[in-house]
Amino acid sequence: MDKTQTKSDRDFSHPQVRTENLNLYYGADRVLQSLSFDIPRGCVAAFIGPSGCGKSSYLRCLNRMNDFIPGARAEGRVLIDGTDIYAPDVDVIALRRRVGMVFQKPNPFPMSIYENVAYGPRLFGVRDREVLDETVRSSLEGAALWGEVKDKLNTPGTGLSGGQQQRLCIARAIATEPEVLLMDEPTSALDPLSTARIEELIRDLKSRFTVAIVTHNMQQAARISDHTAFFLLGELVEYGPTSQIFTAPEDKRTEDYITGRFG
Amino acid sequence: MKKGKKDRAVYSHFGGLGDKIAARTALSVSTVCILIMGFILYFLVKESLPVLEAATFSQLFFGMDWYPQEAPPALGMFPLIVSSLAVTFLSSVVGLPVSLAIAIFTAEIAPRSLRGVVKPLLELLGFLPSIVFGFLGMAVTAPWLQERFGLLTGLNMANASALLGIMMIPIVGSLADEALCAVPQELRGASYALGATRWETIRRVVLPSALPGILSASLLGVMRATGETMVVLMAAGGAAIIPRSLFDPVRPLTSTIAAEMGETPVGSAHYHALFFAGLILLLITLAINLLSSKIEAKSLKL
Repeated sequence: MDKTQTKSDRDFSHPQVRTENLNLYYGADRVLQSLSFDIPRGCVAAFIGPSGCGKSSYLRCLNRMNDFIPGARAEGRVLIDGTDIYAPDVDVIALRRRVGMVFQKPNPFPMSIYENVAYGPRLFGVRDREVLDETVRSSLEGAALWGEVKDKLNTPGTGLSGGQQQRLCIARAIATEPEVLLMDEPTSALDPLSTARIEELIRDLKSRFTVAIVTHNMQQAARISDHTAFFLLGELVEYGPTSQIFTAPEDKRTEDYITGRFG
Repeated sequence: MKKGKKDRAVYSHFGGLGDKIAARTALSVSTVCILIMGFILYFLVKESLPVLEAATFSQLFFGMDWYPQEAPPALGMFPLIVSSLAVTFLSSVVGLPVSLAIAIFTAEIAPRSLRGVVKPLLELLGFLPSIVFGFLGMAVTAPWLQERFGLLTGLNMANASALLGIMMIPIVGSLADEALCAVPQELRGASYALGATRWETIRRVVLPSALPGILSASLLGVMRATGETMVVLMAAGGAAIIPRSLFDPVRPLTSTIAAEMGETPVGSAHYHALFFAGLILLLITLAINLLSSKIEAKSLKL
């Protein structure tokens, strides 16, 4: 386990997300094996690994979306800002307001662009039209979509292009001002141009949020992340600064994977 | 020219004999269907128009008296039309909310195992012949209503509407359930990930997404109530009056046609008036249909 705790130039003393000995089971299958590592505040952490390695399952542990899978059970601790999110008295609803999520396929609600972004704030009970207007504007600006949609906020969100829809989903996720933003292969359904825009956006977002992103695309991980975790068969093989993982991996399996020898 | 030839070569497997046979068959079957519909409409209009020799449009639509056997016959259908509309409305009030509640339960709340039991039972209820509902209305609910509320007759609008409402539930419930199940799982996930509870997700995301499907399911139910004959014939009481209370007997257009068609000489004013009643029914269902597609288009456009 020592090699997963690699020292880095970033501050590890106050991690935003600390995972301690986390095991995840789907029924009898153990899909995550004793994960322990820290994601520092305000950085982008990328999770890479072949399909079925558990990287998405891990991501879904962080906002407890795995709770919806029948037979799923997590053991161990995940601390977000020092609070164990698997403690028995945790309010899952409140947790999901602190940990936003963007999915693989753009999934805007069949409502107007405005209502899509206002969905989260409305759930909190924000009714004031001016506050909502301001939140919608700043969230769309944050997602680099405002300029394209500011004149058609009342048209359906599903009418946008794929890349715009995904940025709308990002705007929707950041409208609740989460501390951590989870992204599950957010560009895998998009064309290269839209992908580039989202990647640029992710680099901007880390000034405000801690971003955890699952990606199939190793170049993407190399381009946008500060830390990279390599998963294999539910195990965390290696975790450290992205530059180190991609230039001088310590584990043979990491090296084989990033040089394309398997995966 | 050259290009056309090439295209034909590429697509030639679409023009085979089998395709031609299939296309011709589909065309002829649909033509026959359209012709049949056309003939039904034609005969309905042809058989109903001669009634205008005995009464004017406004007498037919707004006349208060329905004494078709008198000489000269009184052919005012206003009470019949009002009865049809009132029974349709009341049965929708009874049936649609319950159907929707059941659909939300089976699609969103019930565990899979329970859904596997409830849904087939619901569909089974839909196979019950309407005569059974009519019989229940005559033999069970009417005497109970009469006793419980001290009425002159238990065969009345409330009785028939309640039964029609129950008859709607299997159709509307199972179609609405399917509309809810067709809402992509990703939308629910997105809502939960934003910190919504299950109920907030159902109310704000799932129901609005499924609205077009739920509307067309409801429409089918409402049309069934409008067109249903046996239950109203047996349980609604059959008085051609404007109902002043829930417990007044009524005589909708459908039961009027069913009860009187066998008793009237072919070609009489009464005979043509009954065809005219059928035409009005057609117009009512057409109006409901248009209204609902308007609403549907609006909900799709937001």
